[in-house]
Amino acid sequence: MSQKARKSLIIDCHAVVSKGRTWADPPREVDYDVNQLLERGAEAGIDRHCVVPARNDTYLEANREVARIVEKHSPRLIGFAAHSPQREAGRLRKMLTEEVKSMGLRGVRSDGHPTRELLDVAMELGIPVMYYPNFTRGQSLGKYYHMPAMAYPKVNFILPHLGQFRSLSWPAHMEALDLARRYRNVHVETSGVGSFKYLEMAARELPAEQMLFGTCAPELDPRVEREALRLLKLPPDCFSKVAGLNILRLLGKPSV
Amino acid sequence: MNRTASDYSRREFLAGVSGAAAVAAASFGQTRKTPVIDCHTHAGTGTALTDPWTTIADPEEILRRNREAGIDKACIFPISHDTFEEANQEIVSIVKRYPGRFIGYAKHDPVNEKGRIRAMLLKECRTMGLRGLKLHVTPTPEVLDTVAELKIPIIWHPDNVATFERVVKGYPTIDFILAHIGSDLSNNWREHETAIAVARNYPNIYLDTGAVVLTRYIEQAIKEAGPEKVVFGSDEPEVDCRLEIYKIRVLKLPKEQEEMILGGNILKLLSKYEGGKA
Repeated sequence: MSQKARKSLIIDCHAVVSKGRTWADPPREVDYDVNQLLERGAEAGIDRHCVVPARNDTYLEANREVARIVEKHSPRLIGFAAHSPQREAGRLRKMLTEEVKSMGLRGVRSDGHPTRELLDVAMELGIPVMYYPNFTRGQSLGKYYHMPAMAYPKVNFILPHLGQFRSLSWPAHMEALDLARRYRNVHVETSGVGSFKYLEMAARELPAEQMLFGTCAPELDPRVEREALRLLKLPPDCFSKVAGLNILRLLGKPSV
Repeated sequence: MNRTASDYSRREFLAGVSGAAAVAAASFGQTRKTPVIDCHTHAGTGTALTDPWTTIADPEEILRRNREAGIDKACIFPISHDTFEEANQEIVSIVKRYPGRFIGYAKHDPVNEKGRIRAMLLKECRTMGLRGLKLHVTPTPEVLDTVAELKIPIIWHPDNVATFERVVKGYPTIDFILAHIGSDLSNNWREHETAIAVARNYPNIYLDTGAVVLTRYIEQAIKEAGPEKVVFGSDEPEVDCRLEIYKIRVLKLPKEQEEMILGGNILKLLSKYEGGKA
């Protein structure tokens, strides 16, 4: 890694804290150890982690817990809320506004297909929306992503795992690349990509501004994900963007 | 010219592996007793062109990444086909094209090639120099009896660990390597847990670390099944050996354990070959 790259601020845009279930199927009950995240993150040279809550049915309590953990481990952690646009319909505006303006959370993960209710308030608050469609093999990622990305060009979407956790379906990675090429507001995240060559493709083919370093830690090992970032061998200016500057730009200024 | 069985003696095979290790060690400027061997790599050309693994696995690209990762040798076998006679011949030619870098395995489909496998596998090992068998489809007695006779290891990616265990039970003299610690790309973490449990229960089951995304199961496998039961693999070229080997190295295991996993264990299994003459 070059001298310049070593000095870049490294921000993991996708880590998980607190109790609930895994985001990936088959689900597992979890109570993530924030200390392990911070220790392994530090070992990997990661300066900050954006953290979302583990998966829950509803997120009022889970988001408050995220805010508490973030406050305790300031400035290492940056908090994201999570919400189910379907199960929490009608209450999203009030909850998310409070979570961002009063509790300092700076992004939202959509647990389910994002609705206008969620995207309208995310746009107003100027926060990024992390959305990973839980689709099965053989289905199209584009079916889930085209409409939100097209209808809300001012909302910045974070697409975890380059569109496919663990690379279970390689065409989804190709679709993710196509989506990012078409929509400047779609940003692909690097964690949990089992087939590294698709990350290399993303690094070659996409503008560096649309790629974000993430780890999915502690479900995945942040040291391994950091090694994947190193192996991409990005030019220093691109490395800085992917490693941290891009997510900083998307997060905007903190509210509290 | 076809080489005879005596050309591919066990002694020569081991000498070749050790020689490669010495060269590699010198090139890395260090002393290393055990070569680093990737037990799970695909190579060759496919015909179906429907997925990456039915299209191509380029040995040049694999070698480039192997060198960067410090891997001395890789066990190679074909990508996906309906039948494997030609694909296995291609493996033999790749092994010959890059001396000292690859250990060739055959691959077979016990259903599509039923009745012909014994003859093919004996020839592939005794006269063509292949030293193991890769399987996806559940093996039949025809396959298993031949493997037991040759004393070659099987690396098998089964539909599920329960099927794998049922077969292993009946063949205690065969060394079985369970690919992906039982779940390719960690598709189902429960299968990883079952795989580790069966590896503890059977002395002839080994766990391949390739394409395990949930890396805590690699740690768990080493801890619970023991480092002597874990073999490093990558599933190149779909999965990058540089990252796969990092998943072992990041654990900072005692040197002796790391050497076992990265090469010693697979070398031990390969050295059992007693194929005999053609």
